[in-house]
Amino acid sequence: MSGVSMAVDLGGIRMANPIGTASGTFGCGRQFEGFYDVGRLGAITTKGCSAEPWNGNPAPRVCEVTSGIMNSVGLQNPGVREFVAHEGAYLSGLAERGCAVICQVVGHSIEEYASALELYEELAPFAAGFEVNISCPNVAAGGLAMGSTPERAAEVMRALRPLTRRPVLVKMAPSRVPETARALEDAGADALSLINTIPAMSIDVRTRRSRLSRPTAGLSGPLVHPIAVRMVWEAHNAVGIPINGIGGVMSGQDAAEFILAGATTVSVGTANLVQPDSAPRILAELERWAESQGVHDINELIGAFEC
Amino acid sequence: MGLVVARQTAGLHECEVVGNGPDAKGIFLLRMRAEGLSRALAPGQFVNVAVPGDATQILRVPLSCSGILPDEGLVEISYAVVGDGTRRLSEVPVGTSLGVVGPCGHGWGPIEGKALLVAGGIGAAPIVCEARRLGVEGVPFDAALGAQSAARLWGEAALARAGAGEVLVATDDGSAGIAGFATLAAERLLAKGGYSCVLCCGPQPLMAAVAGLAGKAGVPCLVSLERMMSCGFGACCTCNVSLVGGRQASCCMDGPVFDASEVVW
Repeated sequence: MSGVSMAVDLGGIRMANPIGTASGTFGCGRQFEGFYDVGRLGAITTKGCSAEPWNGNPAPRVCEVTSGIMNSVGLQNPGVREFVAHEGAYLSGLAERGCAVICQVVGHSIEEYASALELYEELAPFAAGFEVNISCPNVAAGGLAMGSTPERAAEVMRALRPLTRRPVLVKMAPSRVPETARALEDAGADALSLINTIPAMSIDVRTRRSRLSRPTAGLSGPLVHPIAVRMVWEAHNAVGIPINGIGGVMSGQDAAEFILAGATTVSVGTANLVQPDSAPRILAELERWAESQGVHDINELIGAFEC
Repeated sequence: MGLVVARQTAGLHECEVVGNGPDAKGIFLLRMRAEGLSRALAPGQFVNVAVPGDATQILRVPLSCSGILPDEGLVEISYAVVGDGTRRLSEVPVGTSLGVVGPCGHGWGPIEGKALLVAGGIGAAPIVCEARRLGVEGVPFDAALGAQSAARLWGEAALARAGAGEVLVATDDGSAGIAGFATLAAERLLAKGGYSCVLCCGPQPLMAAVAGLAGKAGVPCLVSLERMMSCGFGACCTCNVSLVGGRQASCCMDGPVFDASEVVW
């Protein structure tokens, strides 16, 4: 163990360390117990759930591009009730093991977001907080449409704020970052998660068709990391609430970049899918880096980027 | 047909390549020393392999096992070179350590009575794997095996060695066996009757057609499906299979073996 204190506070969510996992890349966490003790992570963010079940998009839902992947899952989920019925016991145990459980809510409309959050509020005492996904590029209504302007994003946040006293994070789209971040802070968000996948296209030139079931899909992986670092830095300069940095983190060095750019926590996403034991390795590498920087507390390094 | 099969939790394994070379035109045989995996795998399950050689291609390559040899601590994978990942895999030298996630999904499950095995192309890999188990367990079976040409035909000798009563070969160009798809061979064998189940793996149109033939003959049919996927252990929801009734199943966890009557073709 290093002598560096790794504990952080993400808008009221107290975490033993800054490393979490990004929604949609980690199931409910249980899937990774065969690879390592998930309780060692600071947090997990569960797969986005709506009030009612969603079927998601047709296959194919994933393709590979240079240094990244594209997905078009479309937020397939069993609905909050069934999710909690199946995974609640595991998630309660995980929370008791010291890993913060953040439950992500999705919807097609403000009313649907509110229904999902209300269900979680009632059924999920294990949740340390909630992440509102207003930036999924793979659903026709809601998703990115909700987060496409600062005004619309703030409208969602204002509607949800009275529904829970637990911390609420908002997962932001990779566009218009400073003004959207300010609007969300003003609307009562406790923290911001960024970035979601970047809307992108990949065309099979032989068939002239999309390589996925829809024309556009969400781009993730190491190729988006430098873009995400820039956006975290922009958000950090724009607001006072903490930031959860997401985007192509494959190593402790990638996580350290987010911390220096202003992130309080870092979520590992695509790396979970290609190397299932990535998150604890990244945590160990981040801890070694913090030690090498000669600090006693990782919080000293948040936003310590020097231009 | 019930598919209640005990599932091992997927783990990470370092496997040493002890053989990797061509076995038919466009088809390679990879042999790996994999003590733990060889004891955990069942026929029909697959593994998700990190293939070295290009750091810009990050996804693993999901591959069915064609041979499981726990006594020797070996796992065999017969694969077709179809894309960049399998091309790089074909260049991996003996002695390389491969990172393998597995066992993934569930296998064919228990088979009773006489089975008809139907395979097209490299779909023969999980079929041959199952044939070897049926042979050891003394379950009688015949096989219909299709390929583009005699040069690309893989699995005929292995099926015969495993104890097939009859192996009926079909090639698209007629260069081996009867001229036509594996569907034609399957139809001829099914017409003889006496089968309690059909197990099929190959291109999607072949599986859909065989599912239809089996349905008409009143014989239950299992199919091993293929999907583009990422993790292979139920974390990402990218390998969905649409089932009758509107449910979305995951190919990697609920499959890859499905009851054909439940699949939306």
